[in-house]
Amino acid sequence: MSDFAILAENLGVQYSLRFHRKQSVQRTISRWLTRDVAEPFWALRHVNLRVTHGESLAVIGPNGAGKSTLLQVLAGIISPSEGRVESHGQISGLLTLGAGFDVDLTGRENILLAGAFLGLDDRVTRELLPGIVEYADLGKFIDAPLKTYSSGMRARLGFAIATSVDPDILLLDEVLATGDATFRAKSKARVLQLVEDAKAVVLVTHDMNWVKEYCNRALLIENGRVVMEGEPDEVVDTHRRNTEAARKRKMAEAKAAGLAPEIVGKRR
Amino acid sequence: MSARTEAPATFVAAASTPSPLALVIEAIRDVASRRRLVRYLVEAEVRKRGVNTLLGNLWWILDPLLLMAVYVVLVTVIRTRAIPDYPLFVFAAVLPWKWFTAAVTDATSSVVGQHRLVKQIAFPKIVLPVAATTAGVVGFIFGLVPLMGIMLFYLDRLSPLILLIPVIAAVQYVFTLAVAVLVAAANVFFRDLGNVVRHLLRLWFYLSPGLYSLTHLQEIGLVRENPWVASVAALNPVAVLFESYRRVIYGTEQTGPMPPDWLALAVLLVASLGLLAFSSVIFKRLERDFAKVL
Repeated sequence: MSDFAILAENLGVQYSLRFHRKQSVQRTISRWLTRDVAEPFWALRHVNLRVTHGESLAVIGPNGAGKSTLLQVLAGIISPSEGRVESHGQISGLLTLGAGFDVDLTGRENILLAGAFLGLDDRVTRELLPGIVEYADLGKFIDAPLKTYSSGMRARLGFAIATSVDPDILLLDEVLATGDATFRAKSKARVLQLVEDAKAVVLVTHDMNWVKEYCNRALLIENGRVVMEGEPDEVVDTHRRNTEAARKRKMAEAKAAGLAPEIVGKRR
Repeated sequence: MSARTEAPATFVAAASTPSPLALVIEAIRDVASRRRLVRYLVEAEVRKRGVNTLLGNLWWILDPLLLMAVYVVLVTVIRTRAIPDYPLFVFAAVLPWKWFTAAVTDATSSVVGQHRLVKQIAFPKIVLPVAATTAGVVGFIFGLVPLMGIMLFYLDRLSPLILLIPVIAAVQYVFTLAVAVLVAAANVFFRDLGNVVRHLLRLWFYLSPGLYSLTHLQEIGLVRENPWVASVAALNPVAVLFESYRRVIYGTEQTGPMPPDWLALAVLLVASLGLLAFSSVIFKRLERDFAKVL
């Protein structure tokens, strides 16, 4: 195995705003006629990243900074528009866990379907099945259709699947906040165990305490660019300062526009 | 470590534009390596249809029968000249048509319908239209049961040639898949394509010799004055399929079943394979942007 789990070089992801939102035939034709040229938009650019096995990297930043896009590229869901990504080891494919696979199928059937989607061998999935069922701890709901689940239950099932496949690289997007307190504690323990087993973990989170306490490294992304990379404590502090500065700037702008500052301040 | 999975353990993603041939090979490899996922999706589709409905799996049999009844009533009321054994005549077209429309309609929404998964798991998206097309085969096979039932009323038209149905169905599968893959990819970018497809399919059916045969076309004034219309109508892939099914199931008005037009079927097969290759290239080209657009 190579000395790194993930290597990203000069990574860039470009979104064409033309296709960014839902599109209809009629709108496209009217665009052609009016020669409305869509401008490209870089969701991520010039990102260099190296994650080694046994490392737990936190990706933080404001909403819309490109954190989720980064995870999607690392998982191979989106192909880069520029640069390259190389990864060694089995990647757990589940980024956000609330989705589930097929709401008409039972939890158990969903686990099998998940295995097929993740490309697991059928025998392996069936071997993993009891462990996943036990870990998700859904009781008799495991044989009920997914549409009867609460969002917390779905997240539990998703987390159980994602971490049970014994990935070498675990990519998680905002999942530590799901589920009740008991499950949250349980999932933290599981992620820590994976880190200890020398797996690489990349997680997107807004839980700064988790970043400071359990991650070896943190990456701050703003507007698609890596602003800072380094010790979690320092990166989190920078992120807090930047957020505060952005908030003040917005409030000043709002004041200039004649809006009551406390409303804007709350909304942020 | 990678032996236990079908997904590659090491992957490199870079900005590049692979050649069309490479994309076709990739598409074939995608489906071959994820056969089980296709099977699961088909099973889930079939099970859902059976579970969520009042009559359950009986629908597989009732559906084509009811559609046939609608057309028989309709045509009996407005027709000018009777076609003998008309229910069988129509059923020979309804059966493959149900498969085609179901597959194309399902495929249209197959990728968009799984938008959450497309955004959170890296898997070859081409399995989705493949599963939609394959699920239609199940309906087709169930449809053979009422076909046998109707056949009992027209035993004089029963011949061993009916065993050629799977051969024609194989050609239809390739053609359907080619269309399904194309619309599945296009619908990601044009969300109202579903409406367009629905109406086009309906129009397509009436333009195809389902309720009539190609020979009936000659009797229409428009076609007699413009003979090229008949030639164009015969080029319709669905016309080739309908006429082939009808020849082995029904025959013609005057004669019993006969072998299909092998040349036409062979040409359709080759053309469909070409279209499928084209569709796969388009699909693979667009696939990389699915997660961004959904």
